[in-house]
Amino acid sequence: MFAYAASLLAQVTLEPFNRPAIDWHAVAPELVLLAAGALITIIDLVGLERVRKLMPTLTSFAFLAALIPVLTLWSQEDELPRSLFDGAYVVDRYSLVLKGLFLLTGYVIALLSTNYMSEGDYYDSEFYQLIAASILGMLVMSSSRDLISIFVALELISIPAYLMAAWRKRDLRSNEAGLKYMLMGVFASAILLYGMSLLYGLAGSTKLVDIAAALSIGESKPLITLAIVFSVIGFGFKVSAVPFHTWAPDTYEGAPTPLTAFLAVASKAAGFVALMNVVIVAFPGQSDVVEPLMAVLAGVTMTVGNLIALRQTNLVRMLAYSGVAQAGYIMAPLAVYGTNVDRVPSAMVTYLVIYAAMNLGAFAVVIIAARKTGSAEISSYGGMFGYAPGLTLAMTMFLFSLAGIPPAGGWWAKFELFRVLTDGNRYLGIMLAIVLAVNSVIAAVYYLNITRQMWFLPTPDGDTSRIVTPPALQVALALTLLVTIVSGILPGLVSDISGSLQLALP
Amino acid sequence: MVDAIVFIVSAIIILGGAVGVIFNQNPVHAALSLIASFFGVAVLFILQEVHFLALVQVVVYGGAVVVLFLFVIMLLGVEEIERFDDEPIPGQRAAALIGSVLLLGVILAGLFLSGPGGNRGAVALTGKPSQMVPLTTDPNVVQLANDLFTRNVFAFEATGLLLTIATVGAVVLVKNRGGEDLVVDEPGTSVR
Repeated sequence: MFAYAASLLAQVTLEPFNRPAIDWHAVAPELVLLAAGALITIIDLVGLERVRKLMPTLTSFAFLAALIPVLTLWSQEDELPRSLFDGAYVVDRYSLVLKGLFLLTGYVIALLSTNYMSEGDYYDSEFYQLIAASILGMLVMSSSRDLISIFVALELISIPAYLMAAWRKRDLRSNEAGLKYMLMGVFASAILLYGMSLLYGLAGSTKLVDIAAALSIGESKPLITLAIVFSVIGFGFKVSAVPFHTWAPDTYEGAPTPLTAFLAVASKAAGFVALMNVVIVAFPGQSDVVEPLMAVLAGVTMTVGNLIALRQTNLVRMLAYSGVAQAGYIMAPLAVYGTNVDRVPSAMVTYLVIYAAMNLGAFAVVIIAARKTGSAEISSYGGMFGYAPGLTLAMTMFLFSLAGIPPAGGWWAKFELFRVLTDGNRYLGIMLAIVLAVNSVIAAVYYLNITRQMWFLPTPDGDTSRIVTPPALQVALALTLLVTIVSGILPGLVSDISGSLQLALP
Repeated sequence: MVDAIVFIVSAIIILGGAVGVIFNQNPVHAALSLIASFFGVAVLFILQEVHFLALVQVVVYGGAVVVLFLFVIMLLGVEEIERFDDEPIPGQRAAALIGSVLLLGVILAGLFLSGPGGNRGAVALTGKPSQMVPLTTDPNVVQLANDLFTRNVFAFEATGLLLTIATVGAVVLVKNRGGEDLVVDEPGTSVR
């Protein structure tokens, strides 16, 4: 018996295990956030109710601490791009800008949640742990150049978000939000996996560069098309592109409002990052398939999103549909990436940065206003200038930015889109630019309608007592307002950071 | 030849089990059909000589996961078999059926239109069996471990975090503090 076992063991010749070389500096942002998140969980376990008040502060510090290695990596510019695991994980300027964006978004979300979570009857410590985990998924996503890590990052982003959408457990609409989001998200993941398995079958590798090489000599065009369409549909759900947007309004309305801001900004941006990584790195030679697909998706998404947003009476639902429309704008440059691939990432990242600031700002105002009015109906914003002039001014700035009216930052983001689309005089790009222009006008109608409510219409219930803004929300408002205004007045500052970004090839 | 027969038999079991999951009215029967489907997949793994994955498939999916399903179904009570005959959206079943058939058609068409020369069908995706080379001659577990702990170590660790955080969230969601259902328009301070 033992002799037999020994002979079996003898057959197994174990090679010595070669530890993979890991550039620890390159993964420091992720590790810092992971360590901080684990520390928060342990403090929560030990301290229970006594430390509950500390959680938002600790989480904010975790995000800021993870920002430090991002900055040190950025400062050693000549060592970029850093490539790990055979080029499956790449840290370049593009991914560093995105990591910074995600960490700051996480910081603002933590600020937005502080009072909302502690004043409602929620399990709030766990909420912050889930936010941190989701942001960590986004950091991983920015650097992933491999199907496996892209998929794991996508799930790490999504699963905490499904859970948090249902966080208001005793509200039926929140339960509906969580369930709907999860079912739709899982469905999208299944489609995405199907596309990815086809890609893996065609290329024999999960690395995006290998897939690009295999597809460029591939003669299996129908299969390649099928794989591309399935992958794009999978990401389309994440960024709520029409016709895969149906979960967005109900989920946005039912979820806790800080989480809605998180979904509308961070989660959506992560979806775009995944889309950019896959399309630009893995499908560079397939623009004849991807470009028309993206053009149709972008055009339909912005038009349908705007037309439905026009009819909304609830501000959160309106922001949800306007977010759908904005997804259409952000996607538009991918319709011309075949000829203009150098400028597509910078245009999209610029839009994402400015979009994050202005949309988070708008949600901050919604949360502050709801503390007094207890409502997100657009009519409840009537006459706000009379009793909250500062808040009204800030909201006006965010709405101007969303509509693309100078001096707020949105105009620069839109301008960049137009520049990329019209560059090279391509039929597809020009058509899409025209659709985008028409849509910007439609969108201005409903954004400015809210401004009209706040400035000119009477207060619905005559209650003109002042709105008290807690310090955390003040900081969030100030930060987002600062970015929105500065990016509009000094667009050069933004383009210094996000201009001329490339996806470094390993 | 043996390969082909085993493949066809297990494919029938997999698909039959999958269809059974959807069409069985009794949730316990549906869960049992799922086991049949998982076992079919395990046989396919053995056919591909990945014995370790076949074992995992049986132990984890056929065993643990489905037993968990059965626990949940039993705890919720299966005496009342819910009828799902009503259609919230008129004609949704017919639409779903047509959609699925169309999707199947597109996928099959994609497969059979692809491929250079005579290599149409699934061969276009994977290449001919005669051209395939095994990656290494290492035993399954060694190959798997090498892949997980070198190239994919980062994704592996991220998955660990994912499972932890999913557990934390799930525990919070199922904990019940009691209290009334909330009916408020926009929560702010008004939610208690």
